Amino acid sequence: MISVLALTKLYGDFAAVRGVSFDVAAGEILGLVGPNGAGKTTTLRCLAGIIAPSSGTVSIAGHDIQKDPIPAKRALAFIPDEPHLFDYLSVEEHLRFIARLYGVGDVESRIGPLLDELELGDKLGSLPGELSRGMRQKLAIACGLLHDPSVLILDEPLTGLDPAGMRRMRATVTARASRGTGVILSSHLLNLVEELCTKLLVLRQGQAVAYGTIGEIIAAHPALASKSLEEVFLTLTATNPAAT
Amino acid sequence: MNALLYLSWNSARNRFLSAFRRVRSPRYAVAVIVGALYLWGFLWRPVTYPGATNFLLSQPSEMLITLLAVLTLAGPWVFGSDTTALAFTQAEVSMLFPAPITRRGLIGHKLFRAQMAVLINAAIWVFVLRRGGTFLPSPLRAVGVWVLFSTLNLHRLGAALVQSSIKQHGRAAAKRNWWSIVLFGFVGAALVTGFVVSRQELLGASGIGDFFVAVAHVLAQPPASIGLWPFHLVVAPTFARSIPQWQHAIVPAMAVMGLHVFWVLRSDAAFEDAALEASEERARRMDAIRSRRSIVVPKSAVAAKTTLRLKALGHPAMAIFWKNILCLRRTAQFRLLIGPAGMAIAFGAAMSSGARDFSLWVTATATTFAALLIVFGGRLVRNDLRHDMLHLPLLKSVPVGSTDIVLAEVASATVPIAAIQLAVLLIAYVASFGTERITLLPSTRLAILAGSPFLVLALNGALITIQNGMAILFPAWIRLGAAVSTGVEALGQNVLAMVANLFTLLVALIPPTVLAALTFQLAGGLRAERGLLVLWLPMVVAAVVLGLETYAAMLWLGRAFTRAEPLQTA
Repeated sequence: MISVLALTKLYGDFAAVRGVSFDVAAGEILGLVGPNGAGKTTTLRCLAGIIAPSSGTVSIAGHDIQKDPIPAKRALAFIPDEPHLFDYLSVEEHLRFIARLYGVGDVESRIGPLLDELELGDKLGSLPGELSRGMRQKLAIACGLLHDPSVLILDEPLTGLDPAGMRRMRATVTARASRGTGVILSSHLLNLVEELCTKLLVLRQGQAVAYGTIGEIIAAHPALASKSLEEVFLTLTATNPAAT
Repeated sequence: MNALLYLSWNSARNRFLSAFRRVRSPRYAVAVIVGALYLWGFLWRPVTYPGATNFLLSQPSEMLITLLAVLTLAGPWVFGSDTTALAFTQAEVSMLFPAPITRRGLIGHKLFRAQMAVLINAAIWVFVLRRGGTFLPSPLRAVGVWVLFSTLNLHRLGAALVQSSIKQHGRAAAKRNWWSIVLFGFVGAALVTGFVVSRQELLGASGIGDFFVAVAHVLAQPPASIGLWPFHLVVAPTFARSIPQWQHAIVPAMAVMGLHVFWVLRSDAAFEDAALEASEERARRMDAIRSRRSIVVPKSAVAAKTTLRLKALGHPAMAIFWKNILCLRRTAQFRLLIGPAGMAIAFGAAMSSGARDFSLWVTATATTFAALLIVFGGRLVRNDLRHDMLHLPLLKSVPVGSTDIVLAEVASATVPIAAIQLAVLLIAYVASFGTERITLLPSTRLAILAGSPFLVLALNGALITIQNGMAILFPAWIRLGAAVSTGVEALGQNVLAMVANLFTLLVALIPPTVLAALTFQLAGGLRAERGLLVLWLPMVVAAVVLGLETYAAMLWLGRAFTRAEPLQTA
């Protein structure tokens, strides 16, 4: 579903991401973790085609995001941590807008269940300015899920959601993955990552310091055996390992 | 240093340094060189014939500018105030509103920040006006322009505060501000009486120049001059023709400015008093105010009661066009059309004054309005990339080609402007048959009407593409968002930007003009019997050539859009 090879993104002399490679197969959920400034959001933006990598390749559902961007983007949904919504479009109009962009012919039958699932059923005519932060996040999620993407990229998906919303979001991600969607989930909530993700990619200063299942990562770092994920994370991402 | 002063100073300094650092990018470096040459040509280049500036500084201009100032100041009272006059940034709302700062302190901060724009624009106008053959030194003229712009800015702020107060406290606030309502009522009555009394003089004018001189004359005589007196006090130092004249004018002008400062602060105090009287209401309102980043009560969000149909299947770029048309419907500020409409009406009156011909007036007004929309349309309608670059991450993640996105965005602004222009041109066409002063053959008029859709779309498309191109290429230097800066304090910058856009359009018009002229010759020149084709064909040829140029520019901008990154718009 997702194949990333030697991804590098430079801003002048500064390397935000350096030589990162990983794969996400259908049904897999990859957890992307790292401290602030590690390059997570830059990596996700390269995957979504928002920014061009300086070098390396990104393939989404078999399409190179740079050489063949339209089919690649049609297969994916990117849900950022901060919902980007249009102030002047209502909830329903956002979904109709997305439906046209992605060619969702049966939008009529999808809107109702999707909004009910996200508890936005009674907000159909509301503008984003009339919605709470959590509701706006739910609308952004609804826009991402409407076209049933085969690749789902989530950047801090639980930001702003209430406990019930968080539970529902976890269930949604799991359900999508079980139906064959490849998911990348970036989050600082390590318990969420531990609960949902089948694989982990740990970034530090733009570089991958660990990649694989938690078992594989611990096997590669025997000193981390029997430690919690939080301790594993802190050890792997410490700029001065002696300090941990 | 005061915390708010510290904030203003460091924000301005860091913004300038940040913009300046962009010059390290080749694209921005080229822009700086071109911009510097442009500024030199527009502002500093020595001019042998200062006639235009002398006209700008003439006595008729002084009276017309005074009238324009009155109309500008009356706008908020007649059509409602512009809440952006008091808008704060999200960061200011987050950090200043909860901080122990008085409301007056916040307004003072707003006033101080506005001064930066006022000073920049005052400097621009001083450079523009310095070419005039007058004996007034530039620093003195600068003070005059600064007083004028500052007073207008203060008035806009005061009007927003007063109207906010009226909206919140109804009749009680209106009672406190009765004098401003009476003042503008008196000014309006004086002007109307002046024009009615002197209507023979206006109707007798035999040309455009004569008409405007007659208008200025009416404004300089009682009763209009009595109504304009306080406003003329503010305008007078800018138009002073000698140092003694300036010295005589500056003190009253500064006094008017001082009165405005007092008025703005008094409005604020009145607000606080009234707010205390209705504390529950105030709390509710302040919540609304804070959530919407303004210290005035904003208009309620335009409800999405009506929508436009959008089929789920079809070219995806249509979705962007649909979205932007909805944006225009829900955010359009029709009062921005009042300026061009007023100019068109005045020009139409000037054209038809000697003839006393209503049909001629309608034809001239409608044609002028259509022409002015080419110049101002792109500034008034911004539902394109100048707005959507703020949503760059979303636009870049959707499965639509970059060129298609640029095309849809440009069309979003071009089509509505062209639709208005074509409607008024149709009115002009029909009205032209009611006057004998227009001697064009019916076939010629029909040819112009039939060719105008092509030309209007091509001209607007080219100009909107130029403006969108600026947003794609220089997002860090362009004001992004739906809001257009309408205050007089931004007048200089707006004029500079508009002239630059028009100059670029003029360059783009060279190939279409040459080819249209060739087509005109090949089609038979001025032979009357072939008038329809002779005019229509060159218009279409010009439109097609300009359209092709615009499309080539869009392809190039599409590639630039592909490379654009969200960081550039931060």
